[in-house]
Amino acid sequence: MSVWMLVSPLLMLGLGGLLVMLVDAFVDEKAELPILTAILLAVAGGVAAAGIVNYDNVALAGAPEYLTRYLAFDRFALFFDVVVCGGAALSALLAGGYLREHDLERGEFYILIIYAALGAMVLGHAIDLLTIFIGLETMSLGAYAMVAFRRTSARAVEGAVKYFLLGSFAAAILLFGSALLYGATGHTDLAGIGEAIEGGNASIKLVLMAMFMMIVGLAFKVSAVPFHMWTPDAYEGAVTPATTFMSVAVKSAAFAVMVRVLLTVFGDDLSASAASGWPPVIAGLAAITMVYGNLAAIGQSSVKRMLAYSSVAHAGYAMVGVVAAFRVEEIAVSSVLFYLMAYTVGNVLTFGALIWFGSNGREAVSYEDLAGAGRRHPLVALPFVIGVLTLMGFPPTAGFFAKYYVFNAAVQAGGGMIWLAIIGVLSSAVGAYYYLRVIVFLFMKEPQPGAPIAIPMRSGYVAFVMIIAGYFVMKMGITPGPYLDLAMSAAEQFVS
Amino acid sequence: MFAEYLPVFLLLLVAVGVAIFMFTMASLAGPKNMTPEKAIPYEAGSNTTGARHIRLSIKFYLTAILFVVFDIEAVFLYPWAAMFRRLGWQGLIEMVLFLAVLGVTLVYAWRKGALEWEK
Repeated sequence: MSVWMLVSPLLMLGLGGLLVMLVDAFVDEKAELPILTAILLAVAGGVAAAGIVNYDNVALAGAPEYLTRYLAFDRFALFFDVVVCGGAALSALLAGGYLREHDLERGEFYILIIYAALGAMVLGHAIDLLTIFIGLETMSLGAYAMVAFRRTSARAVEGAVKYFLLGSFAAAILLFGSALLYGATGHTDLAGIGEAIEGGNASIKLVLMAMFMMIVGLAFKVSAVPFHMWTPDAYEGAVTPATTFMSVAVKSAAFAVMVRVLLTVFGDDLSASAASGWPPVIAGLAAITMVYGNLAAIGQSSVKRMLAYSSVAHAGYAMVGVVAAFRVEEIAVSSVLFYLMAYTVGNVLTFGALIWFGSNGREAVSYEDLAGAGRRHPLVALPFVIGVLTLMGFPPTAGFFAKYYVFNAAVQAGGGMIWLAIIGVLSSAVGAYYYLRVIVFLFMKEPQPGAPIAIPMRSGYVAFVMIIAGYFVMKMGITPGPYLDLAMSAAEQFVS
Repeated sequence: MFAEYLPVFLLLLVAVGVAIFMFTMASLAGPKNMTPEKAIPYEAGSNTTGARHIRLSIKFYLTAILFVVFDIEAVFLYPWAAMFRRLGWQGLIEMVLFLAVLGVTLVYAWRKGALEWEK
């Protein structure tokens, strides 16, 4: 098989986005766009998945140099193609139900989702500072516009402006870090920079400065504390399918870059030592992210805002796996990959269930909105229950094994990492409070007298997404083996 | 190395010092008798009327964005035209693809009514 099979997911999204633009411009009936977008993304993800399975048969040696110099077509990148495409396809279907129900149906949303997903995939493939920046900007511009999609709402515009200003600032810091790396080593490709640093041909001061700047830029994108300030406002202001997309695809892609940059560029003994360098920095970020994310989520009265803080906390858990990668590469990286996969389906399920409980322009947002709704519509509440259980890490759902693997990686790494695992377990126990509160409100509370009761929307799209996401959440929770093997094979290349 | 930059730091110190000195002296030594007229943001001229937020037509932004997009296209065409012979067929195909992508966006902008000033 030719290398073009591995390139085709990227090309498909690039061309498919143009196709969707033309369909949007010439077909007045908007009904097909969610399906068209979801099929496009699903096919691209499917081709990437086929690429992983048949990876050994692909003739990578003959690949043209203009491709392989800037983009890697390894299992790691293809893994993120699958995760990003899957998350984006499910978000597009959710948008098909949500936007119509709330009179926001406009074709631009699907075009933005396709191109933001393309940027996220480029980030997974990027092995050069230039492609990292291009991918980051393509992804972010789409995400900024998606947050501001409900343009008449002051809250959406506030969230979008905050996200845009802080995001540009973080991108500038990342760019500054890239410039310092280039200045210190004379390379823009990650492998070349890594070799130059390893060989001692770079000023250690510049490299350290660059490392901290890149960590700051990426920590912003994964919304790690203290760079999370934009997250609650942007997540709450955005239309819920956009929130879903941002919390799964954008976050996964940022983790892809973080893992690749830290292990390829800063893999030398000095930068990756437990005493100095990035492991203690990321460990500190992970610890405060887990603790703060969970504590802040408790005080929220809006479920959407609670899920935003929960997404902050989940970034912390995944970062535990990233830290452990300095000592046990394969176990740690595969645990991060499994985590992101499980988090993607779990988060789609939970946000999708929240979308399902809104109809006719009235969205369910706060806990009060959900009061008593579960007892009246048990079938609609079921995905919500499974969703919060998997985010909580309750067996036998995907979230349980995701947390288990991440904390296991930290324990395997030993030393101070064991403390990190303990902090993680304790803070996820705190998380149980606000996740279970959703179930309490759904089934055990009654709405205030006179308050309207949430009525689920009738949408085949949303119901379909719930079935798919629910299936994978349970499948990964009951038989995690094949998925872990997949993550392992994607992580193999980082073993040194 | 530090000694070379010493004059810059000194200048910085003097600049900050002068600013602090002027503000503190003004607030310590200056006379204060506040009148309502002095408290409003703009002392001179007539009172302001109307809403604070003026809604500008979105058409200005659309025109500006479209201008930037096709301006960039022209910027890319120039170096390609200058190197046309050396880039050969590969360059031509790449340029046609680039123009095709922009062509699709132009069709999109046209169909969405972005090119019409009055609708």
